[in-house]
Amino acid sequence: MDALGRGLAVLLVLTLLAPVFGWAAGQVGYAEPLENAAEATGATDDADPVGDAPLPDYGVPGLGSAAGTFVSAVVGTALTLLIVAGLGRLLGTDDRA
Amino acid sequence: MHIPDGYVDLPIALACGALAVAVLALAARRIDGEVSDARAPLVGVVAAGIFAAQMLNWPIPGGTSAHFVGGAFAAIMLGPHLGALAVATVVAIQALVFGDGGLVVLGANVFNMAIVEVYVGYAVYRLLAPYGEFRAAFAGGWLGITAGALTAAVQLGLSSAFAYELVTTVAIMGVGHLVLGLIEGGITAVVYRYLARARPDLRPDVAPEVSA
Repeated sequence: MDALGRGLAVLLVLTLLAPVFGWAAGQVGYAEPLENAAEATGATDDADPVGDAPLPDYGVPGLGSAAGTFVSAVVGTALTLLIVAGLGRLLGTDDRA
Repeated sequence: MHIPDGYVDLPIALACGALAVAVLALAARRIDGEVSDARAPLVGVVAAGIFAAQMLNWPIPGGTSAHFVGGAFAAIMLGPHLGALAVATVVAIQALVFGDGGLVVLGANVFNMAIVEVYVGYAVYRLLAPYGEFRAAFAGGWLGITAGALTAAVQLGLSSAFAYELVTTVAIMGVGHLVLGLIEGGITAVVYRYLARARPDLRPDVAPEVSA
């Protein structure tokens, strides 16, 4: 398998792991230092989302949590791949020229 | 470390956004013409890997969890300028598609994770590389994410929602990420060592294999 194929295989494994990790993090209770700081200073209630995300919290509305996380992982990973590869090509040089 | 809307005062969010745009514009100019077309898809794969890895929340007993951010990793693998643009793309997709990190504070989040973490992580890596690449990559990941957390803590600590408790935000986020950053450093170093052996041509300082 060439490098690109192997890279894509790694990406697929990571997206499959996303729901597993999501479940495990839920078991211990997810809290980042940012959230701890918000609680310590009473900022938690000030969070005020502007606009609605199409896939809020890495989930698909109406889909189960594991399936939603997996779909979100695939969509986000594919979008990043396409945009950054496109950006690279845009800013790059054609070395065959 | 993704700040939601409502946490940072508007002038601070706008100032960080302007700074982020300026640095990214400079970064784009610096890499202009440096990416070969053959390397572009691989650069995309590295960025996509960072997005996917950020979704993996490592549960840590005691009720915290953290995920790999990958700023230093991107800088080491892709060079700092391309790395900054790659992580900025990841952070923008997270906010726009998944609501992870606010829209008004998008510039601040890009500043912390795609600029501070990337360039600080890269500087630490370059500084320590003569003493061993593995150790340097570890320190870059570790101190890069800590630096990004500190700038986030300053933005929050200077805002009204956090009652201007700068000392509290800096202490909680600085110490928190200094500890959690050990995981970031470990992943950065291990994956870097593996990729450097498996794909030496991915490195920014190596000439593309098809250039002839």
